[in-house]
Amino acid sequence: MSARTDEPETKIGIRNLYKIFGPDPQRALKAVKDDGLGKPELLEQTGHVLGLQDINVDVKAGGITVIMGLSGSGKSTLIRHVNRLIDPTAGEIIYNGSDILRCGAEELRKIRREQMSMVFQKFALLPHRTVAENAAMALEVRGIARSEYIPEAEKWLDRVGLHGYGESYPHQLSGGMQQRVGIARALTSNAEIMLMDEAYSALDPLIRTDMQDLLLELQKELQKTILFITHDLDEALKLADHLVILKDGAIVQQDEPQTILLEPSDPYIVDFVSDINRARVLRVRTVMDRSTDTGDMSIAGEIDQEDNLESVIAMAEGDTRKTYLVKDGDRKVGVLRMETLIKSLVPTEASDDGDRVR
Amino acid sequence: MATYEPVFSALGLKEWCESGAESASGPTSLADLIARNTGTDVPAPSIWELPFPSMDQLHEACPAFPQSRALTKGIENGFLDIKDGLSLVLDPLTQPLSWFLEGSLWVFEAIPWWIMIPVLLVIVMLVSRSRPLVVFVAVCLLGMAFIDYYSFAAQTLAVIFVCALLCVVLGVPIGIAMSRSDRLQRAIIPVLDMLQTLPAFVYLIPLIFLFSVTEPKLYGIAIILYAIVPVVRLTDLGIRLVDKDVIEAADAFGMTDRQKLVKVQIPLALPNIMAGVNQTIMMSLSMVVIASLVSAPGLGVLVLRGIRNLELGVGLVSGLGIVILAVILDRTTKLALARINAGQNQ
Repeated sequence: MSARTDEPETKIGIRNLYKIFGPDPQRALKAVKDDGLGKPELLEQTGHVLGLQDINVDVKAGGITVIMGLSGSGKSTLIRHVNRLIDPTAGEIIYNGSDILRCGAEELRKIRREQMSMVFQKFALLPHRTVAENAAMALEVRGIARSEYIPEAEKWLDRVGLHGYGESYPHQLSGGMQQRVGIARALTSNAEIMLMDEAYSALDPLIRTDMQDLLLELQKELQKTILFITHDLDEALKLADHLVILKDGAIVQQDEPQTILLEPSDPYIVDFVSDINRARVLRVRTVMDRSTDTGDMSIAGEIDQEDNLESVIAMAEGDTRKTYLVKDGDRKVGVLRMETLIKSLVPTEASDDGDRVR
Repeated sequence: MATYEPVFSALGLKEWCESGAESASGPTSLADLIARNTGTDVPAPSIWELPFPSMDQLHEACPAFPQSRALTKGIENGFLDIKDGLSLVLDPLTQPLSWFLEGSLWVFEAIPWWIMIPVLLVIVMLVSRSRPLVVFVAVCLLGMAFIDYYSFAAQTLAVIFVCALLCVVLGVPIGIAMSRSDRLQRAIIPVLDMLQTLPAFVYLIPLIFLFSVTEPKLYGIAIILYAIVPVVRLTDLGIRLVDKDVIEAADAFGMTDRQKLVKVQIPLALPNIMAGVNQTIMMSLSMVVIASLVSAPGLGVLVLRGIRNLELGVGLVSGLGIVILAVILDRTTKLALARINAGQNQ
């Protein structure tokens, strides 16, 4: 995939990453690279498990990159490579121009302490410490004095909606609140990168929606580089600036979520997106006509290009004959006919040729 | 007529056997004596009476073959041979244990009862934070003092105090080391199994040879060897059972191994470690009674007197005293454990 010019710089570049589990991964790697063995064949012939296969992802600065896949697709393995909780069998992870895999122990620890933070599926809070002490973990590890790190932690706890809970213990909080502590812990570290490993998968749906909104709200303000793992496509489409779909340890497709929805490149993804409420995910800018020439059309109103189609349908009260003027701020950028909108809601059939060349 | 004689003949070892005949004539067995007195020859054995070809049986057939008591004798001689060298090393190494025990016994004896009992009660209060338990302990201690068993109970406590403390000081680091290395764990677990299953009296036998019976470290070592097992095991287990997710979080935020151990692993393993400490204390108590055979002071001496002199009353009352001490120690440490558990249950 070629980089578009208007996109921000790449913060983390994952290059040709392989991870093979088993007694002799290097030999198995040779078999995969030279003989082109797939996951089932490798397991049958050598007893090795192909965890990740030739992964290439650019994580852009200031955006949310979502990696989505079903359980066993290798997504949690992948995110653990970024801060090297797991070492790969082959490949590179370029961060700020240097390969994280070549870091010494001390350098790696420094990166983990100051530049990368992580939020976990099962919260992973320390049960014997208060909420504020948990939130301040990264600062404490760096050797900062308690009198400095507690106020800093309290500040971020306030920010995630846990004002006054600093003295409580994690077990006194509900699951959703515990994960807020997890997020506060990641934010308190003031790291530019946040790794979120199925951070919301253990929460019930309503709380999950709340937490997604919280993340988007924080992100608008803080502009962190976020790598988010999920098995939930709705969540992925809601949060992602860039969506990577993983299957059996290999990338099936990666692009902007709107594009994946409109042009799924693989029957696997078609299956996935068929259950999705397209009107809620697709945005006006994706389906509008990019001509600002309104001509003799009767304009029923103005809409923002980032609005989703659901809200437009609501505005038109279901009337398919209306046409709207699309604006980006004050600038006119196109027009949207309701007919076009309805057509875009028809699910896309998979192309016959699965590996579409881009 | 020995059963296996033809075997040696067949193997052509007859001469070798006979060469040993004079040198290795062991004591005559009862069967031999009966045979000699009745003057009857032993009838030819049937297959149903075929004896197992044990060392003694083979010795009977061939005098040059060693008897089984040569084996135990050999072990004994071997031990006696290395004994001097061993005690040369072990004596100075374990000398501090003698000092600790003597010191502790002296402290418990020198401090008058009207200071000691309140101090013990305050300790119980601090550890357990339970008023009913303090009242119970007070009643027990005063009751024992009233029937003139206080000084014996205090000696027992003094010994347990030193031994249990040393068990924790030595056992927790061993447990931590085991939890970090699978190889070390594999090496140490059989040793722990052996220490735990070896009958308590068997500990005393080699120790009697190594150290003088008058030295406190003799029973100190026996108690520590016996009682250290649970604290080692449960420290290892506790650290291994710490939630993998939490360890991963500690790694992800860049903790060093040392920070991880002190800030995460030990605090989270503490309920298990404390359960080990409780068991260790109970096992020291049981061993201190047995160790009275080798001059360990305390209530065990009275139990021993009860057995030796058939003083039924003394034996029963001191046995009851031991039960009371056990209940006190167990309740106190269990309540401390419950407090820790309550602090971190999730």
